[in-house]
Amino acid sequence: MKGTELVLRALHAKGVKYIFGYTGGAIMPIFDEMEKQKLFTFIMPRHEQGASFMAQGLSRASLSTDTPQIGVCMATSGPGAMNLVTGIADAHMDSVPMVSITGQVATGVIATDAFQESDVVGVMMPICKQTYMPLTTEEVEKTVHEAFYVATTGRFGPVVIDLPKDVQVQSVGEKYSFNPKTFRPKLPGFYYHPSPEREVVHQAIEMMNRSERPVMFCGHGVISSNAGAMLQEFAEKTNIPVAFTLHGLSAMPVDHPLSLGMMGMHGTVEANRAIMNADLIISFGMRFDDRVTGKLNEYAKNADVIHVEIDPSELDKNVATTVAINADVYRTLHVMLHDPELVSKPRRRWLKEVADNRKVTLDGVAEELASGVGDDGKLLMKSIISRLSDITAGKDIIVPDVGQHQMMAARFYNYQTNNSWFASGGAGTMGCSLPMAIGAKLARPDERVWSISGDGGFQMNMQELCTIMEQGTDVKIMILNNGYLGMVRQWQTLFFDGRYAGTPMTSPNYELIAKAYDLPYQKVTDLDQVDAAIRAAIDHNGAYILEFICDPSEVILPMIPSGGGFGDMIVSRPKS
Amino acid sequence: MTVKKMKRRAILAFVQDKPGTLNKISMMIRRKMYNVDTLTVCKAKAAGVSRMTITLREDDETKVLQVIRQLEKFTEVIRAKELDREQSYWREVAIIKFELEKKAFEKLQKKYQVEILDAQPHDIYIVQIAGPTERIDSFLKDVGSEHFIEIARTGVTAMDK
Ligand SMILES: Cc1ncc(C[n+]2csc(CCOP(=O)(O)OP(=O)(O)O)c2C)c(N)n1
Ligand SMILES: [Mg+2]
Repeated sequence: MKGTELVLRALHAKGVKYIFGYTGGAIMPIFDEMEKQKLFTFIMPRHEQGASFMAQGLSRASLSTDTPQIGVCMATSGPGAMNLVTGIADAHMDSVPMVSITGQVATGVIATDAFQESDVVGVMMPICKQTYMPLTTEEVEKTVHEAFYVATTGRFGPVVIDLPKDVQVQSVGEKYSFNPKTFRPKLPGFYYHPSPEREVVHQAIEMMNRSERPVMFCGHGVISSNAGAMLQEFAEKTNIPVAFTLHGLSAMPVDHPLSLGMMGMHGTVEANRAIMNADLIISFGMRFDDRVTGKLNEYAKNADVIHVEIDPSELDKNVATTVAINADVYRTLHVMLHDPELVSKPRRRWLKEVADNRKVTLDGVAEELASGVGDDGKLLMKSIISRLSDITAGKDIIVPDVGQHQMMAARFYNYQTNNSWFASGGAGTMGCSLPMAIGAKLARPDERVWSISGDGGFQMNMQELCTIMEQGTDVKIMILNNGYLGMVRQWQTLFFDGRYAGTPMTSPNYELIAKAYDLPYQKVTDLDQVDAAIRAAIDHNGAYILEFICDPSEVILPMIPSGGGFGDMIVSRPKS
Repeated sequence: MTVKKMKRRAILAFVQDKPGTLNKISMMIRRKMYNVDTLTVCKAKAAGVSRMTITLREDDETKVLQVIRQLEKFTEVIRAKELDREQSYWREVAIIKFELEKKAFEKLQKKYQVEILDAQPHDIYIVQIAGPTERIDSFLKDVGSEHFIEIARTGVTAMDK
């Protein structure tokens, strides 16, 4: 058997159905073998970055299904591999399992600056979980199996396999044998500790029982370990309010009475004030990113911290813990939930305080939503998202891009379906939405998927419309066009005296773009067209582009200025 | 700019002996913005395992702990820990070539008992000296920098008591 056959045999054994790939000299042999075998659905992006985000979308959306799949993307050596970099770095920041296979020049010419040679292992090493370069055909199958193991065990992450061309085309010797059933990767240094220690769990429970002002954090680890329903049960049983990180959203219904919504830089007043005044934080599967904490020395000053996290290097990294529990979130919640010592307390005063904080922005937001337009009569993003939420009953899959519209989608969609929100958080990569939505739709074909982009981000991976056209992927596309790189404009408004350097954004005629890709399109300028347009997209069987002309001066509030503390939260718009 | 000298730390790591491991570790240390003081690698007792001793400067305990936890996160790192200065031996070896009058050298030799690898005419010596960093530093000071021709030092290797 040849290296190419062994790669594909291993992918097949790992349940891979889709391959997102772009060919070229150094990866051609694998593509050729794929064409012979016809075991996979091949999807060609129009740029390798698209492939990496499609793979992410597939991994993330399928995680909560009965048949989780790992996204696999392939590219040729040199420029092909380099075009994957952004998507791999993004997956690394957001702990998304993914396997990238890149062709490499033949071993005989590696490090001679051969045609289309880049040091892929050197480039990828610091931006992914693990890199491999098998140097013999005998190692190929084992490497792919190990790569899947590493990508999906412990804290998830992307893995890169760089495969020299000669290793692909050579055959293994007669004596070669490999049994995937008995294969165990030899990784003496791979630390994986899924079960919580009894003692720390007891300590944590005692602290929760004692606490008068506790708040629970729901991070990405809750989604990754499929523990959303259990977290909800735990919150209900203990009567503790829950704040969400960007990636924790959709782990439980966001309108649950104990939900505080999102925390951090653009978090809700109720979430951020609860954190500021808490005596105890119980954090599940998150890493206290700076967008979550703001200024560290002012963060949650009066709170003890219980931190449940699968990656030990995240414990005590940014925030000092009182009790650190290095374990899988699902298993820890399972143990805690069934602990006979766990008590429920009414905590009337605390919950009253939380309820009062909910009211701070209530009227202002209600007013804005009722009006639906800004001072210039143009649509407000928050009202569009809010209408989408109502029309779809909060049940659809939302894949935002990066910017103001992303934060609006985080705040104003009423998430009801577990694992239905896929954003680029840690890296904040503009352009992720369209390709990621394609991957998500392939993972969950029976659910509706919305790709929501700004005019800036949409133009970054707009070429993937052709993938949508070619594959007939039913992704509903929203472009919230405010004519600006809105999120940066917001910072310019608030902190740079309104000098709009490099943020006014010209867009092409999206109607003609839609036409070019043979997709139906509607432009929405008036409030009374919004509902009908959303319904038209829903009723259409297939992809649909909706362009909304939005108010550029809308800002996403509350906001904690970068480097500021929770006390610096800007709640309402400064008068101009 | 004056840089305050921070506390010297030794980190011991047992790592898989394979290409790329050193690269990965040194890249992480660079990313954490440390300038490695010394780094030594040798084969460990177990087959396929290398023993790495890294010294760097850091006052903050939690930051050192971060480095160790991030080291341990690598699949190639089997174990990493900090070696307490009081509870471990830190040693290095130096080979030094210098020119010194015989009398002066003999006086030095009384104090340090170094191993003479070569004594050439014209008062040129090549000697080997082992021991704690401070002992080597002190020997070099006593020789006097104006007499040096060449100095080779291994960097620190260390072991728990
Ligand atoms: C690839 C990339 N480049 C630059 C940025 C910095 N950035 C963050 S948000 C943003 C503006 C996004 O504008 P747009 O897509 O129109 O969305 P809006 O904020 O207007 O909703 C920019 C430039 C980024 N996150 N990603
Ligand atoms: Mg915009």
